[in-house]
Amino acid sequence: MPELRRYWPIAAAAVLFRLALVLFPGDLNLGSRPEVATPLSSLRRLAEGYWLKQSSLSPYAGSMYHGSPLLLPILGPLIANRIEGRPMYFYCSFLFVIVDFISAILIRATGQKLFISNQQNNKSLKLPGKINLVSNLAKENAGDVASLIYLWNPLTIVTCLGSCTTPIDNLMVILTIYGACSGVAPLAAFGYVMATHLSLYPAILIIPVILLLGHGPDAPPSKLFKRTIRPFSWKPIIYFVVWALIWTFHVLLLCSISLKGVGGLHEMFRKTYGFTLKVEDLSPNIGVLWYFFAEVFEFFRDFFLIVFHVNILFMLLPLAIRLKHRPCFLAFVYVAIVAMLKSYPSVGDSALYLGLLGLFASELADMQFSFFLFFGYIGVTLLSPVMHNLWIWRGTGNSNFYFATGLAYACLQTVLVVESVSSMLKHDRMLKRLVSA
Amino acid sequence: MASEKSWSRNPMGLQLHRILSVFFSLSIVLPLSSPSPTMHNNNWAVLVCTSRFWFNYRHMANTLSLYRTVKRLGIPDERIILMLADDMACNARNNYPAQVFNNENHQLNLYGDNVEVDYRGYQVTVENFLRVLTGRHEASVPRSKRLLSDEGSHILLYMTGHGGNEFLKFQDTEELQSHDLADAVKQMKEKNRFKELLIMVDTCQAATLFSQLQSPGVVAIGSSMKGENSYSHHLDPDVGVSVVDRFTFYTLAFFERLDMYSNASLNSLFTSYDPTLLMSTAYYRMDLYERPLNTVPVTNFFGSVMKTIPTDSAYPGFLVARASEYTTTSAETETARAVLEDEADHSKTHTQSEKGLQHILDEWLKLLEGKFGEKDPDMLVAYGLGSMVLLAISTWLSS
Repeated sequence: MPELRRYWPIAAAAVLFRLALVLFPGDLNLGSRPEVATPLSSLRRLAEGYWLKQSSLSPYAGSMYHGSPLLLPILGPLIANRIEGRPMYFYCSFLFVIVDFISAILIRATGQKLFISNQQNNKSLKLPGKINLVSNLAKENAGDVASLIYLWNPLTIVTCLGSCTTPIDNLMVILTIYGACSGVAPLAAFGYVMATHLSLYPAILIIPVILLLGHGPDAPPSKLFKRTIRPFSWKPIIYFVVWALIWTFHVLLLCSISLKGVGGLHEMFRKTYGFTLKVEDLSPNIGVLWYFFAEVFEFFRDFFLIVFHVNILFMLLPLAIRLKHRPCFLAFVYVAIVAMLKSYPSVGDSALYLGLLGLFASELADMQFSFFLFFGYIGVTLLSPVMHNLWIWRGTGNSNFYFATGLAYACLQTVLVVESVSSMLKHDRMLKRLVSA
Repeated sequence: MASEKSWSRNPMGLQLHRILSVFFSLSIVLPLSSPSPTMHNNNWAVLVCTSRFWFNYRHMANTLSLYRTVKRLGIPDERIILMLADDMACNARNNYPAQVFNNENHQLNLYGDNVEVDYRGYQVTVENFLRVLTGRHEASVPRSKRLLSDEGSHILLYMTGHGGNEFLKFQDTEELQSHDLADAVKQMKEKNRFKELLIMVDTCQAATLFSQLQSPGVVAIGSSMKGENSYSHHLDPDVGVSVVDRFTFYTLAFFERLDMYSNASLNSLFTSYDPTLLMSTAYYRMDLYERPLNTVPVTNFFGSVMKTIPTDSAYPGFLVARASEYTTTSAETETARAVLEDEADHSKTHTQSEKGLQHILDEWLKLLEGKFGEKDPDMLVAYGLGSMVLLAISTWLSS
């Protein structure tokens, strides 16, 4: 309760801060940083795609734009209107500030849903009073804390102002998780279909979404409960599947109308999903794929593409088995893994999972290496542009300098995922000891 | 809660049921339009001058004269591939710098403005010539250097230079043999790169160069037969070299009387060559050509006169790999509008997806987008997006 009074002022301050940066007279030029804008999300490429579409050509001609054709009528006209003395993506930045704010509100709502279900579970477990009191206070503010972390994370602010479409991708993923946590199947289906359509990787969120809709939000392992209070219900999942089919069909219809006569859906899949999976653009980013695929022989290229993508896929099932009682946390882990191993990662992806990490702040309170991780993130965020400058602009460094920061970033993310999963499992073991004691 | 949910979902469920029933009743395969015989769509000209050095001035003048003629009769630069050694106009021995004449009266400067040479200097090689004909270029070759003809093209191939029995000399270093040319034409026919091809050769023993041709749709004329030389027409005392060859001179004389709308036939062109004036026999070969020569207007090859049909469909852009098949109504009146159906997407999806369900889904999507897409597609997409967002919000609010 005490933090609630201070929540709205802090959130409003974050929004005002972003608006101040948008109206900042200079040009921050964040859209040219490779850590922020990737070939999939750059607004500069979207402007090119929009211009091509207006000239009755395919927006994918010339291999600049690789996003969804549905973003073109939304963001294209906003880019086209220029006013003197303002940076080019002025109106788009307002839209992204609003989108960020909505994402933060949704994270807060998700946190509240988690808290309510946590309360019910604790009551039915009949935990000893002391533990209840302590965790009660912390968990009430989990949603608020996570939302404020998301709003005030410098990575999120950089993504919001960095003229890239990642805030919209993040909104869709958060919408999926919120819809699944509240049990609103059409909303979850909408978020899921849109998230998968905009970038391919949120497709793996189907597993936590099904678990969330079937079981309900996070809870201690089911064998702790004396009787099964959470039977797996198939009804919301059937609703989810039906609504997902409706939304998919609607989205595909809109895309095919939008691309009528310039290639149609086949072209769209080839240039968006095909581009993502085949890693055709090897410009440097904060991920680990570009460096490797710049030097792999053509003969082995397909093999290594499969290896890198299966690297994500083979982690899904074991994690799902081990964390099936905590599907919201499972969604967080999936988002973190994808942010590390996707073909064109950016700091926007890490902004997403750092926000979601805040939702589990009380369970993960005993996480090891938190000091190392915190300062590691700061260090990588500061060093990566420096190394890029040394490599590209001054010429005194080479690509290894830049890739070193990318490797350090991947290492940090690995440590974060491993430590968060292990501390969550430790928390479950602690609960088990308390219940059986 | 449960009843409220089901009540609010009923309209959605009804809509879903409606959608599914329409889907299954409409899962018919749209009929493929039958392929009609290919229409003559466009004209291309490949003009090759295979000589360099100052004393071969007349070969460059020949090629530039023909270039000027085909441009005058309507073929644009985008559809002309001009291969010249291009070392005459700015040659140190040229008394008239940056000017090339084909007559001693110097009335016509062939090297005026608007001469676009595609392959110049040492780029005129046998390899490049065969690559142009067969279309097998490296990926870095620009579009202006490619022969982008399709199965509705008429191509004029004009070659001049020094030749002999079954060969043509390229820039004093290599030679193109008649079976090379026949092979290239055979490849072109396999790949449907032309509908009809006219080969015109102005060298010594020119008729031997196309003796090995076997592909249908080819008509060829050479300035001399085996054992005969082709001669230059006259010497220009000012420039100091011969400025034009006889065969090309009389060809140009024939075309100077014509304009874009003339009906002169190929037969009249071929029979206009007088062996006494040419001092050689202009031999032509029409056994591979089905149509009688007196029914073919010269503008079919030397000019670019096309019937334009206004259409409603959008320009398909870069993605039409092959030419589309068109179904046209009989256009008797000028205002008759033909309905053109773009088969490119259709044929692509047909060749890729043999699975029934995906096929049906594609057909049905195409049907829907055909019905909806006639209105402004951008507005439609905007409405679709807005309705999607509103629907999502309403489902959230109603839960």
